[in-house]
Amino acid sequence: MKTLLPLRVNGETHELAVHQHWSLLEALRYELGLTGSKQGCDKGDCGACTVLRDGEPVLACCTLAAMCEGSEITTIEGVADKDGPHPIQRAFDVCGALQCGFCQPGMILSAKALLDRCPQPTDEQLREALGGNLCRCTGYTKIFEAVRLAAKGLDRQSPVRYGEPADGFLVLGARGRKADSISKATGEAIYTDDITLPRMAHGKILRSPHAHARIKAIRTERAEALPGVYAVLVGSELPTPYCVIPWTPDETALAIDKVRYIGDAVAAVAAVDEDTAIKALALIEVDYELLPAAVEPEDALKEGAPLIHETDWKGRPRQDNVCKEVALDFGDVDANLAASAAVVSGEWFYEGSTHAAIEPHCALATFNPDGQLTIWSATQVPHYLHRELSRVLDLPTSKIRVIQPVLGGAFGGKSEPFDLEFCSAALSRKAKRPVKILYTREEVFYSHRGRHPMLMKMTLGADADGALKAVDSDVLIDGGAYHSFGMVTTYYAGQLLTGPVDMASYRFKSKRVYTNKPCCGPKRGHGSVQPRFAFECGLDELAEKLHIDPIQIRRKNALQSGQRTVNGQLVPSTGLNACLDAVEQSSGWKHRHGKLPYGRGLGVACSMYISGTAYPIYPNEMPQSAVQVKADRSGRLTILCGASDIGQGSDGMLAYILAEETGILPDDIVVVSSDTDLTPVDLGAYSSRVTFMCGTAAQEAGRKLRQKLIGGVAGAWKLHEERIGVALGFLYDKEEPGRQISSKEAIWLAEAAYGPLGEVGAYRTRKLGGDYRGGSIGASPAYSTTAHVAEVSVDPETGQVKVEKVWAAHDCGRALNPQLVEGQIEGSVYMGLAEAIMEAHTFREGGLHLGPNLLDYRIPTSVETPDILTHIIETIDPGGPYGAKEAGEGPLHPIIPAIANAIFDAVGVRLRRIPFTPARVLAAIGQAEAARLASK
Amino acid sequence: MLRMPEFRVHRARSAPEAVELWHSLGGVEGRGKDAVWSAMYIAGGTDLLPNIKHRLFTPKHLISLDLPQPQIVDEGDFIRVDAGVKLQALADHPLIQATLPPLASAAGKVAGPQLRRMGTIGGNVLLDTRCLYYNQTESWRQALGYCLKKEGTWCHVVGGPKTCVAAQSSDCVPVLLALNARLRLTGPSGERELSLRELYRYNGFDHLTLTPGELLTAVRVPKPGPGFRGLYHKLRTRGSIDFPELSVAVTGAWEGDAPSTLEIVIGAINPQPKPVKGLEEWLGRPLTDEGIEAITALVHKATRPQGSIIGDPDWRRAMAGVFTRRALVELRAASA
Repeated sequence: MKTLLPLRVNGETHELAVHQHWSLLEALRYELGLTGSKQGCDKGDCGACTVLRDGEPVLACCTLAAMCEGSEITTIEGVADKDGPHPIQRAFDVCGALQCGFCQPGMILSAKALLDRCPQPTDEQLREALGGNLCRCTGYTKIFEAVRLAAKGLDRQSPVRYGEPADGFLVLGARGRKADSISKATGEAIYTDDITLPRMAHGKILRSPHAHARIKAIRTERAEALPGVYAVLVGSELPTPYCVIPWTPDETALAIDKVRYIGDAVAAVAAVDEDTAIKALALIEVDYELLPAAVEPEDALKEGAPLIHETDWKGRPRQDNVCKEVALDFGDVDANLAASAAVVSGEWFYEGSTHAAIEPHCALATFNPDGQLTIWSATQVPHYLHRELSRVLDLPTSKIRVIQPVLGGAFGGKSEPFDLEFCSAALSRKAKRPVKILYTREEVFYSHRGRHPMLMKMTLGADADGALKAVDSDVLIDGGAYHSFGMVTTYYAGQLLTGPVDMASYRFKSKRVYTNKPCCGPKRGHGSVQPRFAFECGLDELAEKLHIDPIQIRRKNALQSGQRTVNGQLVPSTGLNACLDAVEQSSGWKHRHGKLPYGRGLGVACSMYISGTAYPIYPNEMPQSAVQVKADRSGRLTILCGASDIGQGSDGMLAYILAEETGILPDDIVVVSSDTDLTPVDLGAYSSRVTFMCGTAAQEAGRKLRQKLIGGVAGAWKLHEERIGVALGFLYDKEEPGRQISSKEAIWLAEAAYGPLGEVGAYRTRKLGGDYRGGSIGASPAYSTTAHVAEVSVDPETGQVKVEKVWAAHDCGRALNPQLVEGQIEGSVYMGLAEAIMEAHTFREGGLHLGPNLLDYRIPTSVETPDILTHIIETIDPGGPYGAKEAGEGPLHPIIPAIANAIFDAVGVRLRRIPFTPARVLAAIGQAEAARLASK
Repeated sequence: MLRMPEFRVHRARSAPEAVELWHSLGGVEGRGKDAVWSAMYIAGGTDLLPNIKHRLFTPKHLISLDLPQPQIVDEGDFIRVDAGVKLQALADHPLIQATLPPLASAAGKVAGPQLRRMGTIGGNVLLDTRCLYYNQTESWRQALGYCLKKEGTWCHVVGGPKTCVAAQSSDCVPVLLALNARLRLTGPSGERELSLRELYRYNGFDHLTLTPGELLTAVRVPKPGPGFRGLYHKLRTRGSIDFPELSVAVTGAWEGDAPSTLEIVIGAINPQPKPVKGLEEWLGRPLTDEGIEAITALVHKATRPQGSIIGDPDWRRAMAGVFTRRALVELRAASA
């Protein structure tokens, strides 16, 4: 029952009708429409719902609305005033502190409360004050910068500066704001769960409590009879299997005959509100016949192990639980190992981890009277979702519109279709009203698609001067219950290891195995972060054996620009040596590595990563990416592109490139992205492909438009086109530079000369890769390179590892916007070090997740995230737009082995299993000590 | 969103009114794991509301303690901290910082900045015990088959049907125990005082000795005498948000490098915080390195952490020793 509550919010008194069991967050979001306060973790762990109560930061999700009478509540919407955004909001914008923006309303309110009580905070006070606001994108670096800038005093009227562009450019190379930063900072950006439609119903999904069971019967009558329930859905109503990779469909929207992990979706309900839907779920009766579960890959491979999938995607009976197996060899590994002066052989284990984007998955679906489906979803692959919705719902793609609203973080965790998208659409069709489904944090953990646990046996051999002769790798991959991108993962676990350190011969086997656990998939650095850990640790051991400096052994083996890797991938550009030089110098490596006191150490590691893949996920000859541009008589441009801005800033990237080509100011460029009705196809935000591919498409369209602007002006001035120059905001006569015409007027002239102005651009992939089966998987038009040095302190009595500082050098080719590049590097370093020292997506014996929430699954806070010093290395790539390559995933890889190698430098132990928990570190130190004593 | 079951919120303006309301709203039936709560008190709500979201409690009524402005008062021999004092206010209070620094330190280490501005000292003292198998959603616990503390018959930590070892996980409690704090309680038959040392027992599903419906109104801490020194060490993975994985509070009166009293309390190990016994031997004379090692060994021996909370139990046990040694070395050096 609702009661009337007087509530003071943002200086106004509201008479609100709220349920007494509602949290303040529910009252703010659902009754007042103040959707700037975000729901991230459900229960007080993440800080996204932070509001000020009488000036003090509190968590709205753990505050009862009914207990707030008499308090003054300030939400993010109340921070800006008539003069515009608050200086703190502006500082977040200026510093590039907003990526996905989902945690930022809470973060900004915590920062505001800090500066209100302590105008000049110390570094420690700053870290402490933000310690209850988890950010998953930024590595906190730019957030600290923003708060420090705000503390210094920021003129709130000052225009946002673009800094100085690179030589010869109008815009590119300047530190620029992200297109949507200020709307995120003010809480105005609309994420999927912020959208409400008239008559909207709320959906919930019933999930399996068993890791492996046959569904004997489902009875839904009692749920259907509950007042307020509009529709109930079971698996047999959506029988068509799907998968993001279209030829390996092994998953259905809801389980039909079997459940394969605890959390597998079984049925779904749409009801008048979430509470009713939850009650209805409890009324659905499912008869299960329990089956033995195979939770670990070793068990799943045993003779007689229960078959998790009884048939493959073509309906053929399966003999075992192997999802995909790949074996490839290049050169004579055995002979080269036999001839090596030093060999390192070992077994490394990489624990699973999850994306933990602060925004939970959410989808809202509605059908119009013509049977046209519109779905808003927190997805990073609208195009693939579009295709799979068509398949599963049995609707032509022409009847489906997919819109990706502002996205609150993804990291690969939203890069395939999920049950909630199919269910919200099917429930909407059945209930004849809009249906929204929002995951709980627990459901986000079950949906997973995160980092695969990998057990890696690796042998490396080098000759006496450190030249790498052979690498032999055998990887067992724990896939979880379904295929996901499994085939690609299995290839990536081998194919992406062959640079930036070259090797004379290479052999790998990798095997992905089904297990009764949530399905693994692509997490930032898909498939290759794990073997990189083993390889870079092994390389460090080789250097130690050969008495070669760890940086030197990497330099010695550096692949050169234009060279092919041992597995046949052409690497047009690599900046490894420049990266190594940068971190060697800035970390003081030469006088510090190997020379720090016991307990403190430096470690190095490097990596290479793709800038998109050669092939789309379904074979076709169409462009991988396309844009359309139109010019408006107001002087503004609109660019339409299917690309997903997931916080990385691709919308801004499109605007900068268009600005660069046309001279139109970036703020005068409207970016419309990821809406399948409006935007030409881009395949999505994955494999670090967006800047390279969409950027190239935007460059092409921009060049065509530029030519028309020049043509229009040249015609009007009766000059040769060569004489017309393009500058930011105007065009001019190169021989008489005082003669200028504004960009807007140039658009008029061009439109007069050529008719309505609209251009298209596209990116098509050349044929790439080695000439063998699988040779194109992992083949990329360009590769980024990275080198990191990490400094750690290890407490030899507790085993606690503290990452003190990270020097990160990343070769991203041309840095189109260095501020956004730095943000990607910092965020990558943060996410990787989190995997190294704390995160573990682990399960009980029976397959039950060991803590599917943001308290038990720890992700680092602002307190233990170290200072990250980034160096951008620009090795101009011949294929990328203006020479640009990727920056979003490569910089994650080396931080894990760099920390492992730093721990060795600090305390002399080699850790081969992540995370490096204090108990493990202490045990390793103890064993080393025992061995040392025994050898005496 | 993880939603709360329906309940009604009532406001009480005084402790006796709250107690009366609690009884009139049906109070509780049964005790411990079998308790069915009709009415519960709510102050900060930072422990209770997540537990309600997890369906660990499904009360029909919550009684919001809308009492007069809680205060921290110098009562001469005691410092009185009203139960409703927020943890951040406790950490920041000049009197607490000056006279009871380890309590300020412990309060400042609870959870994260927001939760410290919501949660109260009363809630921290009465914090429900915590366990990896208990503080989870209804659907998770259903998949587990529930546990001894709630709806089940089996403790998944020790693997048995009898003992629940969910851990008392308060940061302030070890310090308050070391300081010999007293509790002021209001019940149906009026007020009483209870030594904090008598509050906890070794039973994770019924770890408080309170009479049902009794309301904690204040914590009274004896004012330390001259030479007082104290420290609180918290073991945690992250520098914010996390509950303790183990905690050590050390307090005492010192003259130079010689303690005349010494209290060591270990927290976050099992349902009952552990005051370490047998320290008399080292009192009244300079504490030597050998003495510190001997006390460290004693603490290690006395500490038996359970796997009910995160962190390897053997490692946590070893850390009890390490933290004790570090605290003693630091306190001894504080004389210089």
